[in-house]
Amino acid sequence: MFYSIRARLIFSFLGVSLLVGIVSLFMGGQLLYKAVLNEATRRISLDLNAAREIYESESTNIRTALDIASLDADLLASLEQRRTELLINKLRLVAQKVELDFAGIVLQNGSTLCRIGPVPVPVGPENADNPIASWVLKKGEGVAGTAILRSEFLLQENPELASRAQMKIRPTPRAAPSEEDEISSGMALIAGFPLYDGTELIGVLYGGVLLNRSNKIVDKVRETVFQNEKYEGMSIGTATIFYRDLRIATNVLTPERERALGTRVSQEVRNRVLIEGERWSNRAFVVSDWYITAYEPIVDIAGERVGILYVGVLEKKYIDMRRRLLNVFVLITIAGMVVAIGLGFFVTNKLMKPVRRLISASSEVSEGNLDPDIGMVSKNEIGILQNNFIQMLSSLRRRDERQRAESEQRLLQSEKQAGIGRLAAGVAHEINNPLTGVLTFTHMLLKRNDLNEEVRSDLETIARETARVRKIVKGLLDFSRQTKLDMELSDINKLTRAAIGLVENQAIVKGITLSFNPGEDIPLRTVDRNQLQSVVLNMLLNAFDATEPGGTVTVSTILSMSASKKEEKGIEIVISDTGHGIQPEHLDKLFDPFFTTKEVGEGTGLGLAVSYGIVARHGGNIRVRSEPEKGSTFTIWMPITEEEDR
Amino acid sequence: MKARKILVVDDDKIVLESCRRILEAEGYRVFLVESAREAIDLLEEQYIDLMLMDVKMPQQDGVYILDKIREKWSLDIWPELPVLVMSGYPTPATIRELKESGARDFISKPFTPDELLDAITTILKRRENESAGN
Repeated sequence: MFYSIRARLIFSFLGVSLLVGIVSLFMGGQLLYKAVLNEATRRISLDLNAAREIYESESTNIRTALDIASLDADLLASLEQRRTELLINKLRLVAQKVELDFAGIVLQNGSTLCRIGPVPVPVGPENADNPIASWVLKKGEGVAGTAILRSEFLLQENPELASRAQMKIRPTPRAAPSEEDEISSGMALIAGFPLYDGTELIGVLYGGVLLNRSNKIVDKVRETVFQNEKYEGMSIGTATIFYRDLRIATNVLTPERERALGTRVSQEVRNRVLIEGERWSNRAFVVSDWYITAYEPIVDIAGERVGILYVGVLEKKYIDMRRRLLNVFVLITIAGMVVAIGLGFFVTNKLMKPVRRLISASSEVSEGNLDPDIGMVSKNEIGILQNNFIQMLSSLRRRDERQRAESEQRLLQSEKQAGIGRLAAGVAHEINNPLTGVLTFTHMLLKRNDLNEEVRSDLETIARETARVRKIVKGLLDFSRQTKLDMELSDINKLTRAAIGLVENQAIVKGITLSFNPGEDIPLRTVDRNQLQSVVLNMLLNAFDATEPGGTVTVSTILSMSASKKEEKGIEIVISDTGHGIQPEHLDKLFDPFFTTKEVGEGTGLGLAVSYGIVARHGGNIRVRSEPEKGSTFTIWMPITEEEDR
Repeated sequence: MKARKILVVDDDKIVLESCRRILEAEGYRVFLVESAREAIDLLEEQYIDLMLMDVKMPQQDGVYILDKIREKWSLDIWPELPVLVMSGYPTPATIRELKESGARDFISKPFTPDELLDAITTILKRRENESAGN
């Protein structure tokens, strides 16, 4: 599959920005949020202390008010005189000041003298146990704090209080199982102080505030600790007072936007706080939302854990904060990716422009234009590439010119040969008949016995020279004849060796060292065995003629590439001699018919022309390299097709 | 011994004359014709021991004559007529074709008298041996 460099680069940039984005998302989303959450949890713990303070101060108010009242001389005097009306007025005044729900005076014998509630008691038993008075009478000292008050007591104090205390337990998910479905007892902040006449205990002053359904403390916590902050219509901060695990005073809302009275705390919190007596601070599911919460037990005057004080802030605020944070990170990441794409385009454009120029230049080259425009040379690695490309082009151009010259040369050569061939064929045919006559009559004359020596010698010259003409004409015909090749699959080494075998004796006679280096892995090729052998033979004889005794003629076969067509494989038969070489001015006439440097009568000047024709008909060519006085090298090259090259 | 009869067919007079001089000097009886048509006419009325024939002639060439001869003498009235073909322009293909058509041998022009006589005596001798063998 093809991926452009641009795509790769852009993908890399995208990858980096995506990675950065993901890391920052993780950092921001998780670690930062965790830190924020920890901070919130720590703060809620402090908030719980503040709530506790408010709760305690409420208790202190009651205690202080009743403590002062218990020492009031008027009150004691009125008690002495059993002036109930005065006492009730006095109590009501005190109750009003500290918003007591109930207050009264119990005599030393345990009977209630007076109370601020309605008299007589409308319903229920008259003499329910007054736990506060009993405590004070028993201990002989004041008491203040949280206490659980039975409904009989509340009923006796004020029926309204009993009904306020009564609360249906609403089924709550995750709460501890409970057999009850209703509570009737109330949790209250109470105080009781002994009343002395001198040193004699004459009664008990008691009073208290029922916490059930009382919003005063929890709302004060919300106002002072959380400053009534709202989030999407909901208070962020909430506070609750539990009686055991039941919400009896709260500003946590149900989904219906009512105070969640009668619902219960989760079993987990109940166990940790109410049973084990520990503080608990964590995120928790409260009624219908997640809060970051803190809980601690409320202990009554007897030291028993009777309830829980709770504060919590909506987690939603932080969740939304995190969501906004994540959104910002996502936006940053997207922006980064956009920048990456832009940067990728920019960089690749800048980088790829010369490369693209090179690509189009190289395709132009492959279409034959060897002088394409490659633009400015860059000052980087691409510049090196461009320079190499330019150099390659110039050497290509040089090679191209050389090849063109070579092929023009070859074309000229073959045209020359064809023309001469046609001429020669016609001439030969016409000459042969008269030549027959000349030969015949000369020989007939020579057979006569009456010839004087001079005539005979002349006739012999005629006969000899006519034979020479015959030889030339025969050569011409050999040269001109476009004989069909009689092709058969042959071993070039074997063929060459056979040709060498034919002239070995001549080499020995002439005192020339003749050696053969057969190439390895030379494939079989279809050739006209006889004609090719005659070519090799002709070359060898020429080499012998050129070489003085003591010289060497070396024949090699090589599997090689063509000089002109680099891609083409071929077989070379190389015949080198250490002879007198060829004059440079003769080199381009070497294969012309009738060109010869041999003595008149020695050569016809057709051998190389015929050889060239044969090799050309095999699809090959003959190359010559020669240096005067050093020797010549003739290379017969024939291509091999893929089929043969196996 | 009765003189052997040799028919020479060539469109070139100097060749005909050369052959006549060479062959008559050796005692052969020589008939000269310049075309294939004349050759066939002559063959119909004259027993010939050997025919010497040029391949390339203006009207009908040697192959034509050979085919004609084969056609006419298919009944084998006479023993086979040996034919020696001469040409100044022989190619392996034409030589093969001529031999298939019944030519005995081939001689390339120009030739010396001795070369021609050698070729003729070789054919005649071989033919005599064949006849004796029969």
